[in-house]
Amino acid sequence: MAKQFLYVGKGDQAITDICDADSFVENKIGDSRLDAELAPGAMVGEATLDGELVTVIANNSKRPNPRFRVVYNGVIGMEECYKFAQAMYATIEADKDKPLKDKRPIVLLIDTPGNSPGKVEEIVGMTKGTASYQFAIEDARHAGHPVIGMIVGRAVSGAFLCHGLLSDRILALPMKYGTIVHVMPTTSIAVITKIPLERLNELVKTNPVFASGAEFFYKLGGINEMVEDPKDMKNAIKRNISEVRKLRLEGKEDQLGIWHRGVVGAERGGRAKRLNAITKMRAEYEKLLPELLD
Amino acid sequence: MRMIWEDLQDKSFYQATARERAFGLVDKGTFKEFLGPRDKMVSPHLLVLGEALEFDDGIVVGVGKIKKHPTFVVSQEGKYVGGALGEVNGAKMSYTLRLALETYEKMKEKYGEVPDEKKPLCIVSYDSGGVRLHEANAGLLMHSECMELFYEFQNKVPNFSLCGSTIGAYGAQGFVCMSADVVIANDYGRIGLTGPDVIQQEVGKDEFDASDRALIWRTMGARSKYILGDVDYLIKDTIGAFRNQIVDLADLPMKKISRSRHLGSPKLVEENLEVVKLAAEIKANDSKDLWKYYGNDNPDELPELPYDKFISTVKRRPRAI
Repeated sequence: MAKQFLYVGKGDQAITDICDADSFVENKIGDSRLDAELAPGAMVGEATLDGELVTVIANNSKRPNPRFRVVYNGVIGMEECYKFAQAMYATIEADKDKPLKDKRPIVLLIDTPGNSPGKVEEIVGMTKGTASYQFAIEDARHAGHPVIGMIVGRAVSGAFLCHGLLSDRILALPMKYGTIVHVMPTTSIAVITKIPLERLNELVKTNPVFASGAEFFYKLGGINEMVEDPKDMKNAIKRNISEVRKLRLEGKEDQLGIWHRGVVGAERGGRAKRLNAITKMRAEYEKLLPELLD
Repeated sequence: MRMIWEDLQDKSFYQATARERAFGLVDKGTFKEFLGPRDKMVSPHLLVLGEALEFDDGIVVGVGKIKKHPTFVVSQEGKYVGGALGEVNGAKMSYTLRLALETYEKMKEKYGEVPDEKKPLCIVSYDSGGVRLHEANAGLLMHSECMELFYEFQNKVPNFSLCGSTIGAYGAQGFVCMSADVVIANDYGRIGLTGPDVIQQEVGKDEFDASDRALIWRTMGARSKYILGDVDYLIKDTIGAFRNQIVDLADLPMKKISRSRHLGSPKLVEENLEVVKLAAEIKANDSKDLWKYYGNDNPDELPELPYDKFISTVKRRPRAI
């Protein structure tokens, strides 16, 4: 089957297809209203999944940012990061009096080609923008909101780091639907590392560590679950929400999020040497512990 | 190589190796390295790609003491594959942070409340371009591990970012660096997300001319970051100066140390967003536009001023918090 670019550049379509019909209300989360002028490409709001209220975060590639010329086509710039962060805090605020079991889930629909590589971004601090969003996601998780990342299109480098990688669970459509998961394409890696492309392409077959694609990331534990059929996305997200919620209620935080994906990666045979390094360091640390606590 | 602690104090931080920085930052004779070169824990991926190997994989991690504080140190070596992080050196970094947090939790169990003068500290000496492309996917994942730990550090483990080595803190290390409580730099420090070459390649030379050294320094360099509030302390270029700055702050209550935080709360989101809006409003196209806005009438001279003159005359963005 030929490759289909199902949702690349179509974050808005992903919202329509995954959420209940006409349920998405943009820029509204609980009693909060977000500024529609700010970061027009950052789509945030409320929707329902089979009746359950969720916060949705996505990118609309058709809306460039009029103030920052590098922010278009789904790029996450500074305004976008801060708006996403505001959406996290609005979600926490909306449910602040609810018990853990009723905290609304947050669904990140991931289709972004990167953070904005611009001069003014570097002057003002793109770094702080992306980190602020990441800390806000952590705040939401710690407040008890299940956070699910669903890769529907591009999940590239720094933008994937801020928009998705810290989720409790990450799901992805396979490469045949046009999903892209990488730091940069193998062709660019060849240019920068000066390693011939043919050699890289040969190595990619056996080593997922620099390969581009959701399936390789899955092997490393970076993605929890592949959703083979796009029609199953809603159900997969719902199931993961209830699993995350259950684990959190049982206090099993260590089975969620990025550190647990290290465990998942080891089970799948990826990042084996990471585990060796950690094991050795722990042994060295434990020998020193009594004097450290003294 | 034999290192004499007293000599390291006067040594240029910029010229020092990662190991010299690690040894010199903590109290004399206290540094214990985790997974040192003798363990020969090398990258399994660089080997396959025919790259030269380093037995420490380009990073020095361990624990020492500053006064009574167990002090966890991560020191990156920019001279080895740009200090970039992959599976092994990435695990060394993120797991060291994890051990710092664990030490805090264990201390809390032992003392009930962790005494200010004993609380564990974390120091990261940045010298890295971010993700190591040869093992990019592992590199990406370790950055998220660091971010989750830095989140957990808040109000527990004082977190110091040191910038002033050859490479800077770029790529994903740029935002890891900015997630600390305190950012300390010398005049050589640089912090950014997208490096000059990448901006030029992605957007064009009219956006950023990567051959313009002065432009690089005033965009990503420590002086601009100090004016705009991203660098909290701009200090002289010796290992001892960095160490003294940390020693000065170490015993303070956590609340005071975290006053300089740059992000991590709704209030700081709004503070940062104000600067973003300002840059758009005044159509800032050069850092000098913002230096001027914050009261510096001599933006052309600022990069060239001698250090002492710069520090005593420069006007900085007032912090809201």
